[in-house]
This record gives sequence, structure tokens and C-alpha cells, in this order.
Amino acid sequence: MSSDSATAAHGGHHDDHSPSLYSLSRWLFSTNHKDIGTLYLVFALFAGLIGFAFSGLMRAELFETGFQVFEDGQQYNVITTMHGLIMIFFMVMPALIGGFGNWFVPLMIGAPDMAMPRMNNISFWLLPASFALLMLSMFVPAQATGDATGFGGGWVLYPPLSGTVGHGGVAMDLVIFSLHVAGISSILGAINFIVTILNMRAPGMTLHKMPLFAWSVLITAFLLVLALPVLAGALTMLLTDRNFGSKFFVPAGGGDPIMFQHLFWFFGHPEVYIMILPGFGIISQIVSTFSRKPVFGYLAMAYAMVAIGFIGFIVWAHHMYTVGMGVELKAYFVAATMVIAVPTGVKIFSWIATMWGGSIDFTVPMLWAIGFIFLFTVGGVTGVVLANAGVDYSLHDTYYVVAHFHYVLSLGAVFTLFAGWYYWYEKMFGVKYNGMIAGAHFWLTFIGSNVIFFPQHFLGLQGMPRRYVDYTPAFEYWHQWSTYGYYIVAVGTGIFLIGIIESMVRHRKAEANPWGEGATTLEWTLSSPPPFHQYNDLPRIR
Amino acid sequence: MNPGSRITVISLAGAAVGMLALSFAAEPLYSTFCRVTGFGGTTQIADAPPSAVIDRPIRVRFDANAATDIPVDFKPTEEFVDAKLGETILSFYEVTNISDAPIRAVAAYNVAPYKAGKYFNKVECFCFKEKTLQPGRTERLPVIFFVSPELADDRYASDVKSITLSYTYYPAGGIPDSARPQDASAGS
Repeated sequence: MSSDSATAAHGGHHDDHSPSLYSLSRWLFSTNHKDIGTLYLVFALFAGLIGFAFSGLMRAELFETGFQVFEDGQQYNVITTMHGLIMIFFMVMPALIGGFGNWFVPLMIGAPDMAMPRMNNISFWLLPASFALLMLSMFVPAQATGDATGFGGGWVLYPPLSGTVGHGGVAMDLVIFSLHVAGISSILGAINFIVTILNMRAPGMTLHKMPLFAWSVLITAFLLVLALPVLAGALTMLLTDRNFGSKFFVPAGGGDPIMFQHLFWFFGHPEVYIMILPGFGIISQIVSTFSRKPVFGYLAMAYAMVAIGFIGFIVWAHHMYTVGMGVELKAYFVAATMVIAVPTGVKIFSWIATMWGGSIDFTVPMLWAIGFIFLFTVGGVTGVVLANAGVDYSLHDTYYVVAHFHYVLSLGAVFTLFAGWYYWYEKMFGVKYNGMIAGAHFWLTFIGSNVIFFPQHFLGLQGMPRRYVDYTPAFEYWHQWSTYGYYIVAVGTGIFLIGIIESMVRHRKAEANPWGEGATTLEWTLSSPPPFHQYNDLPRIR
Repeated sequence: MNPGSRITVISLAGAAVGMLALSFAAEPLYSTFCRVTGFGGTTQIADAPPSAVIDRPIRVRFDANAATDIPVDFKPTEEFVDAKLGETILSFYEVTNISDAPIRAVAAYNVAPYKAGKYFNKVECFCFKEKTLQPGRTERLPVIFFVSPELADDRYASDVKSITLSYTYYPAGGIPDSARPQDASAGS
């Protein structure tokens, strides 16, 4: 693939020597943080649509009692497991950290690129390989014998269900390999972000002047470096238990399956903050931009994220209240978990205080941001409910939990993702989106996702357990509402895709700064899209 | 790359490797923690005889299980024993290999309620090492234990009036194919 001729054909008015959009080597061998960011976003979009389609299969199945879509529970459980893993590892994380992080951390801190551009390339290209392994696992045997395929033990991968007893086939091994590769990808990416932010800020850009999005990625990257190796360790133990006769989680050999849960959630709880912290950063930028005010309590906002990250490592066992731990241990985890509500409350308060008295512009990204603040608070409140060990005894593994974490992730992290998407769309792609289409996307998603998940609180309180393919007719009413909600979101998602195509076809020329005086971060000082290589002269921050 | 970046990269890579190492260190730490604290009903191995026998009754129930893939018949010889705190008790289990091949087996154990694990001391137990069970033979398996009198002074555990001692037999390092149960119900 020669990029020279392509550049000549495309060049002319570009003086930044960017290779052709259609050059394969530009993408395969890319060391450019903006191109890699785009790759991450496209990959996340692709994986997200698959994960979204899987949730459609689940909602169609649960529309009424009995079997509609799936032939047996194993198939259903494989789809729920894959939905969870895809959305976490191949949609939210690549989009928020790999996508927006790669695109905007260097731009915001005034760096020409990431510190290790070639490692950045490896970080991305490990992901499609990992995703392929995960997809492949659905089509290979679940058990040593029998026709069942895929791993259906839930995204938490608890043994003995994920051991040879529950899934003796090669499917679970592929899931382990997939997550190992995804984990390596994320750790390399995280190291790259930390090195970039700590060493490559423009002159005058002190840590305490750095935009909150860069702060959020810095903290997220630290969580990744400290949490993901623990998952890798737990998965390696699982792998050797399954294949090489070790007994880490096998009681017959003196092991304990509960230890897997401890290791998993030592990773898993920081992981949920890994998914939401970059979103916090995006929301801070957007709320400040469209209120035309600096963020209220900037330092408190930054250190609230540090506090959330730190506390995130010492609350893991609140995911496992029902394993039989002592009452004092439970009391500790209840108290520690509730403490997280304090820094989170600081953030919610500061966003509202930023809007207070501001000159608010209800653009599409601002709608997503306000929608996020509202819905994330709902999810946070149910989180405080679930933090109580006594309450959790009755709500553990019910739809109440499902509703809770979808409010903070599906309606929280995903809303921040779309907020960032519309906030930076012009900047990244050099074209304007259609405000009407984007607005319709927001309202349909906002209404639809609430119709999906709000009734699931009721289902959970009534006792509907999660990961069940069928249920008693008593639960049918709210399940039907939930499925209708999915259809609304599906229409919204279709409109979202139409919006992308419309903007590309119409090709309305982007402005360098469409948002006016409220947009104060460095990326708005560059053209849209930014030049292929920026900051040949480093910006100076006063 | 400038020297500052290199130091950052090396320390971060070190942190990642360190966390990986810690996750494996969790295994010995976890089992030490259980042994020391009696967490999850882990019983203690007595290194000294009981300090005293006090006049506080305790009932110890006996429970026996076998994993689905081990063809043994395993049961206690008595349902329960009534004792006093600090009193040393001898009881027996019986295990029969119902297959045609020798089986190497090992028993996992704990007590319920979990909070009694710290006070349940075994002086001698068949569960301390793995056994080879000859085909068709029935063996009597002794367990000698006492419940330590300190139980009565623990404000969180003094309500315990009865403790269930439970064993589950597992195949140790796999069992020969000839000894495997032909249908799932045979083993349990």
C-alpha cells in the first residue's frame, strides 16, 4: 500500500501531510493518536452494536413467559454473558478511554502525540484479536461432551461454573484468553496515558491547571494498572485449574471458589469506576462549556475523582455479601461503600453549581450531560440501597441489581459517551451533525432506556432473579414494558446511525470552535479536524 | 523518550507486575488467614490439650458428603454427641469403596456456624492426609477433637449451642476410569 500517491490525490489544500483516509497502512500501522482514537471509536461502535443486538435477543425472549428466541437456558445465558463482557471490555472502555482519551488527552494538555505512539498501536490492535476470541467462544463446545456451545456462567466468571465442573469445554478457555489479551491491551494503554500526562504537558500546564477530562483519564489509567493485573492473575489461576491440575479454586485440593470472587471483585469494583470516571471528566467539560463558566470547585472535582478511585479499591466485598462473611466484615464494607457517596455527591453538587447562574445553552451534548446527571443520581441512590448488607440479602442477584448497574452504566457511562460524541463530533470528523436528528436520538434514548430499566426495579423488589431465561407470569407485565422500552431505544439507535450517515453525506463544513466562549480547552484552538500533527510550537499556558 | 518518562514507564510496569504477583500471593495469604481466624468455619489443629473442662454443654453434629465423581459410601457412626466445652471427644466415620478399584481420596472439612471454627480443635483426624481406599472395604475413620472453653467468653460466639462438623470426600488427583460411577447417582 503506497500512501504517497494517495496523499498527492487528496493533498492540495492540506498542508499537514495527512495520508489518505483510504490507505490501509494509515490505519494498520498508525502511530497517530487521533487516528488510533478514531479506530477505537469505530471498533467500540461495531462491538457496541453487537452487544446491543444481544440485549435485543434477551428482551425479545423475556417479553413473555416460556421460550421465544432461545431453545434452552444455556443459549440465553451465553448471550447475557457475552452482552456483559462485550459492553464492558469492547464498548465502554475502548470508547471512553481508548477513543476519547487518545483523541483529546494529548490535545488538551498541549502534547504533540502520546508518549509511546507505537505501543499505542499495539494497544488498539490487540483488541480486535481479543474480540475475535470472545466471539469464537460462542461457537465452540461448552462441555467436554454434548452439543451446548459458549460460556454461559455470567460476566463474573465464578468457579465452579467456569471450572471444569460447569464448563469443561474449550469455550471458557477462549474467554480467558480473550480477557487476558484485552487486559494486556488496557494495561499498555493505561501506562501510555500516565506517561503522557505526567511528562508531556505543555509549558505552564501544571497538574492543577489540567482540564478535568485529562484528570479523569489519569486516575482511570492508575486504576487500570493496579486492578487489571489482579484479574489477569485470577484468570491465570482459573486457566491452570482447568487445564493443568492446580487447585486454587477447587475445594477437593484445599482451594476455595470464594477466593476467586475476592480476586475478581478486587478488580471488578475499580473496573466500574474505570468505566464511569472518564465520563465524569467529559461531563465536567460539557457542563462548563455550555454554562459558560469554569467548573465549580475545580480542585474538589479533581480530588473527588482521586478519592473515588482510592475508595474503589477497598469496598470490593460488597458484591459478595451472601458468601457468608462475618457481621463485622459486612459492617465495614457497608460503611466503606457508603463513603463513596460523599465524593460522588461532591461531583453531582459541583455540576449543578456550575450550571447555577450560568448562561446555559441546551445543545445536544448538554442534553446528554444533564440527562446523565439525573439518571446517574438515580443509579447512585439505588447503589446506596444495595450497599446495605441486610437489604442486599434479599435483593442480591435480582433485577433490582440489574436496574441499578444499568442506571449507572447503560444510562450513565453510555450517556457520557454520547455526550462526548456530540460534543467533539465536529472536532473529530470535521463535519457538523444535524441537530434535529441528534436531538431525536437523545430523547428516544432517554425515554426508552428509562422504560427499559425503571420497571426492573419493581421486578427485582418482587423477586425476579437475574440470568433466568423464563419466569412466572406474575412478572410478565413489567417485563413487557421493559421490552417496549428496548424497541424505543432501538429506534433511537437507528436514528443515531442515520445521523452519522447524514452528516457525512451533507458534509457541512466544521468550525474550529462551534461552541463559543465557553469552550476554553486547548482542542478548540485548533482547526476541525485538527491538523495531522499538532503543536509544532508548544502552546504556553499562563 | 526522556529520562523522566523512562522512570515513569519502569515504575508503572513494576506496579502492574507487582499487582500480578500480589494476586498470586493472595493464595497463601488467604489460606493462612482462614487457618488463623477460623474464617469460613476452618477448624483448628490442637497444639495443646484443652486448658480446662467447663460446665457448659455443647452438641456436636456429624455430617458426611461425597463429591459426585467419587464412588464411596460415607457416613458418620453417630448422629451427634453431647459434650462439654473443653472435653476431648473421639468419634468415628465409616467409608466404603463401592467400586472395583482402589481410590485415592481426601476429605475437605469445615464447621457450621462459621464463627465456631476458631474454637473447634482437632487433635487427630483422618482428614489430615489423603487415603487409599481398597475396593469393597469399609474403613472406620477416627476424629479426636475438643471445643475450646474460650467459646463461652466470646461475645459473638457464646450463643452457639450446637456445632455441625462436616466432611466431603473428593478424589485426590483423579480416580481410575474403572472406578468411575456409570450413572451420576451412583456416587452421591
